[in-house]
Formats: sequence, structure tokens, C-alpha cells
Amino acid sequence: MTEITTEKYREEAAKGIKNTVLQEALANLQERFGTGTAEGYKNLPEGPALRHLAHDIRINTINNLDIVLKKLAENVRKNGGHVFFAKDGEAAVDYCLQIARRHNVKLAVKGKSMVTEEIGLNSSLAAAGIEVAETDLGEYIIQLFGEHPSHIIAPAIHKTRKEIGRIFAEKLNIPFTDDPPALTQAARKALRKKFLTADMGISGCNLACAETGHITVVSNEGNIRMSSTLPKVHVSFMGMERVTARLEDHNPLLRLLCIGAAAMHMATYVSYIGGPTFPGYGDGPEEFHLVILDNGRTRILADTAFREMLCCIRCAACLNVCPVYGKIGGHAYGYPYSGPVGAVVTPLLVGINRAEHLCQGETLCGACKDACPVNIDIPRMLLELRNKLAEGDSKWQVTPSNLKEKFLYTLWSWLVRDRRVYDLFLRLSLVGQKLFPKKEGMIHRLPFSLKGWTSGRDLKPIADESFTRHWKRAKKI
Amino acid sequence: MAVNRNENPEDQFIENLSKALRDPLRESRGRMDLSEVSEEDIPDEANDLRRRIETRSSKDQKALVKRLIEKAKILNLKVIALKDTQSVAREICALAQEKTPEWGEQKSLIVWAHPLIEKLNLAKRLAPQDILVYDSAPATDSGEKIKLRNRIAESFIGVTSADYCVADSATVVMKTRPGHARAVSLLPTIHIVVIKQEQIIENFKELYTLLKWDPIEKQEGLTNCMTFITGPSKTADIEATLIHGAHGPREVYLYVITGLF
Repeated sequence: MTEITTEKYREEAAKGIKNTVLQEALANLQERFGTGTAEGYKNLPEGPALRHLAHDIRINTINNLDIVLKKLAENVRKNGGHVFFAKDGEAAVDYCLQIARRHNVKLAVKGKSMVTEEIGLNSSLAAAGIEVAETDLGEYIIQLFGEHPSHIIAPAIHKTRKEIGRIFAEKLNIPFTDDPPALTQAARKALRKKFLTADMGISGCNLACAETGHITVVSNEGNIRMSSTLPKVHVSFMGMERVTARLEDHNPLLRLLCIGAAAMHMATYVSYIGGPTFPGYGDGPEEFHLVILDNGRTRILADTAFREMLCCIRCAACLNVCPVYGKIGGHAYGYPYSGPVGAVVTPLLVGINRAEHLCQGETLCGACKDACPVNIDIPRMLLELRNKLAEGDSKWQVTPSNLKEKFLYTLWSWLVRDRRVYDLFLRLSLVGQKLFPKKEGMIHRLPFSLKGWTSGRDLKPIADESFTRHWKRAKKI
Repeated sequence: MAVNRNENPEDQFIENLSKALRDPLRESRGRMDLSEVSEEDIPDEANDLRRRIETRSSKDQKALVKRLIEKAKILNLKVIALKDTQSVAREICALAQEKTPEWGEQKSLIVWAHPLIEKLNLAKRLAPQDILVYDSAPATDSGEKIKLRNRIAESFIGVTSADYCVADSATVVMKTRPGHARAVSLLPTIHIVVIKQEQIIENFKELYTLLKWDPIEKQEGLTNCMTFITGPSKTADIEATLIHGAHGPREVYLYVITGLF
């Protein structure tokens, strides 16, 4: 299983903010991709209507997911592929291990896949004595460092060329260089050997098509084509929501995915894979397996407040505009899914209480909603999560996260309900506030549970005379 | 008490989904109809579009070539429009002579067993220069497959055709068939694509309409691997610096034959 460190959000976020290298990299990333994506949407011949259409297609598919997945499995099997429905990560990993054992797999080459990060596939395969080579350049770098990705599509964004140069020199036994083309060439050479000798290829799935029985894999480097073409077995993992009913749905969705992910018209490589190769075809895997993963998604599906989140196609456009992600970086989110998408998906998958800081850390500014290629209302769901944390929720096993806060707000609601009580409170506060330390006429520090209010700013003191009183007095004159 | 229904896990999985979806709105929304689509189901819009593609004038086709060249520029994809196969063959031979192999000493090309590529007659043209030309003829047993794989891996140029080319994004679309090995467009350092002008379509809407509704396409299906290729392989994973040739071909040349061939 993959490690969950959502509890450390505050410390990790603070670390991220202090990391000057990360700050520069994130600013650069958001500047380029954030604005590029917005520009891409502007240039769509269909205009904003395309994103509305995409949203409709997605939600309509999710609303019929049982029918659509049944059809997908039926058609993949018709094409000669195997389909396995995994209720959780363990079942998915076990299935992959079984295939690996049956084929005596020593080396697996792997294309970038968030869902395999979610189920911790790499460590399980390694434990079984199978070498797993990440082949996306960013993922490969991260694997050499023994770390986890910090961005959905730019996993090594937090590493400098110098750091990468040093790890390449050490692990690949090459002279040190920090020249990106030379480093890329070194990885190209090292991984080419692996592609040509691997016994298993592992990939994710961007969007399957139920009608034809195909999965799609999208990449710019060509590593996923390699992983799905050269080894004799190809295993693809998909979160159960990553499917469309009809082929024509891919016209808006694929294009929007590419704009959202990298401000591109179309990614360099898109492959529709529908089963193993046939005799006489020259190349391609002899066996194709599709693993369809639930791992807590049915619970999201069952709650109409959160079902919309299953429309997500994991393009990371929301990361590239989020002011919070742009400061704290991906590792603070403590799970493979970071940024606004992570702030909603992670609590729903690992437990709302366990990941409470994620939704509380976001600002609700709405930039993610504007950037989402399929118009998902992320801020609405962040609020839903906060509501559950404030009030508790039995269906999601949420206990109110902050009893002190709940108590204070209950008190506040009593205070403001009665004019006389409120006036009394104001008068008392007027006296009380004299006790707080001041700076240039502003309250500089509040005590106890209230100290958060003044940790980053000073507060204006309560005026000697309330507006209502002033109004009454002024009218008399 | 838990009831052991002894159901198979797959049915259980789907059943759980149906249960999760059982909200009051579901029936009013109506369920998706996923039955096979037949000839009568073709929407008028799709028919109109198909007709427009079929009857596209050569002037409009020329405009698409221009658009393709324009769109290819930012991708570092070289699009070269030439009159006939002769001129294309000459250019490919010049490239083969000029470029140096990335992984070995011997210069060799791997080409699809495809009528348009065979017309180029590359093997005969390049023999005097001591440049080998292998074709990816259908491989039937595992021995032949291994031999083919090695030849593709050794070759520094791979020559293929394609099914379509989408002008709007400069994307070539290729299905998989016997003799059209997938790795020819993947393992060599340079990928050369040769197509006829009529194979260029305007956008993805046209592409998906053809794939879905054209009778020949429909009968063949997407095959076990349909690939879209848009320019050379690239990465921006080191400090967001764009570099060509991550794993796939570093250079891609697209030759469009505009005249008779």
C-alpha cells in the first residue's frame, strides 16, 4: 500500500513554502501551463460550449457506470483481452503479481500512472523480486531519488538540473552533467535497454471506450507506447471512472485533456489499445489485461454530493492555477493526488478526518473550476467536505474535527440572535480588548484559540461607539 | 448476519455500482442505451460530414495541406509536400545518406510492407550506398518476430504510411495490420511518414465521424492498436525545458504526395 501522510499537511506545507527551489519551479510551471491552458480554451473553435458538453458526457457516463463498465469488459474480451474487476488495491496488486509469476517476469517497464501510485504497485512488485522501471522521464528521476511524484503530470518539478545531474552520475555511472538534453539522452539510452528486455509492460488508462473495447494511453515521450508494444504482456490499470460510452465522446474529451494537461492541441502519442496482438502482426503483446479498480470509488458514486468528482480526467489543470498548490507543492497533500483534485479525492478515498487539512487549506477562490476542462465544481465539494468536518457525518464516519470551534460558533450564534445580548457583548468587548497587545492602534495578538486570527495580520479594534448608536445619536442632532 | 451469496466478484462489483446509482433521479433520467449502432442510426450530421469529406475539392485539399504545414511548425514536425513518389523516394534517400545512426554503425532502414511504401523502391535505390532496407513483412512465428524486432531496433530510420492525417493538429493516425509493425514508428531515431493528399482531413470531429460511421472503418474496427502521432517524441521533465527525442523518434518527416502517383 502507498504511504498516506495527509496528517502532516501543515508541517509539509510549511517546508514547501520555505523551499526556494520549489517556489521558483512552481511559479514557472504555473506561469507557463496555467496561462497556456487558459489560452487554449480561448482558441477552441466550439468555444466554452465544448467544456459544457464534456461535463455532460462525463456525468452522463458516471450516472450509467454499471452499464458502461459491463459493456467495456464485454468488448475488451471480444477483442481477446482479459478484464479483472478489483474491489481494492490489494486485489489489483495480487492479480498483477499472479500474471507476473505465470510469465516468470523479471523486469517490468511502467508508463506513468496515478492509479498504480494509489495502490502502491511498485513496492509490491519489488517485494516479489520483480524490478520495476518507471519510464516517464520525470517518474524515472523520482524513482532514482526514491521519492514520490509531486505533480500529476510533471512529477519531478521539485528537482533542479544540478540535483538530477548528480543522481544520474551516481546511479547511471556517467560523468556529471547538468545539461537537460544530455541528461535526457542518458535516460533514453538506459531505458531503451530496459524496454527491449522487459517481460511485462504496465500502464494506466486515460479514457477507455466501452463501445469499441479499447483503452487509451496518452504520452509525449513515447514511453507508454514502448511499454504497451514491446513486452509480451501488457497490464493496464484504470480507475473505474475513466471510461466513455461512445467513441465520438473522445473528440471533446481527448482534446480538452491535452489542453488541460499541457496546453497542447494534441499530445504526441495517443494509443487506442484493444487487446493483444494477432498472429502475423509482427509485434505487440501476446496478452493484454485490463484491471478496473474500485478502491473506494463506489462510495463516492453513491453520494450525489461528490459523484461529480468522478468526472475528473486527471489532467492536473487545477494544480497549474491553484494559489495554494503553487506555494506548498504536491508533497504536502500526503497522497498521490495533490492540488485541488487531491483536496477532494484524497479525503474521500483515505478518510475525511484523516485528510481534514487538505480541504481546509484550499482558498475556495474558484481558479480550479475555471481551469477544469470538464467544468467540475471543486469549490462546491471543498465546502461540502468542510461542512462534514464541522457537523460530523455518519455515512462517511466523520467526527466533528474541531469541537472548540464548534463550541465558539454555537456561542456566537446565541450572541447575535438577541440585540440586547449582543450589545452587552460589544460593551464588554470594548473593555476587554484593552487587555490585548496593540501595535499602531491595531490589535496585534489575540489569546488562546483565537490566536490564529492574528497570526498573519493585525485586527482593527472595536470602535468606541457602535454604528447603530452613532446613527441614533446623529439623527437626534 | 452476512449472507454468503456465492456470487462471482465481477457481478458483485457491477451490482455494487448499480446499488450506488440507485437514487430517485436515475429512473427519471433514463438509462443509457448501449446497444449496437446500425446503419439507420447514422445521424444526419455525420452523413453530411462524410459527404463533405468525400467530395472535398482539390483546392480545399490543397488548403488543408497548407494548414497542416502551418500547424506542424511549432511541433518541430517537418511536412514536405511533393508531386510524386519519385521525388519522395529521392528525398528519403538523401536523408538516409545525410543522417548518422544513433545506436550502431551500420545504416539500415525498416519500412512497412505497404503498397505506397513499396512504390518508393527504397531497397533498390539505397543498395549502391550500402544502406540496408528491411521490410516489416508479416511475422508468423516467434522466431520471425524476434528477428523483426531486432531489425526494427537496429534501424535508424523507420518508414510508414498512415490512415489519416488531421490537419488541425498535424496528427497522423495509424491502425495496426499485418506487415505494419507498431515499433517501426517508435524505435528508430527518425520516423518518416508518407501519405497521399486525400488522406488529410480537417479535424478530430471528421476523424471520429469516419472511424465510427464509414462502413469500411466500421467493419475493420479500431484494430488492436490505433495510434495518433503528433510530431517527434518530447519531454519537459527537467526544469520544464522542452527536449525532443525522449524515448520515441527524435525527428519526424511527413511527406505528402500531392499529384498523381
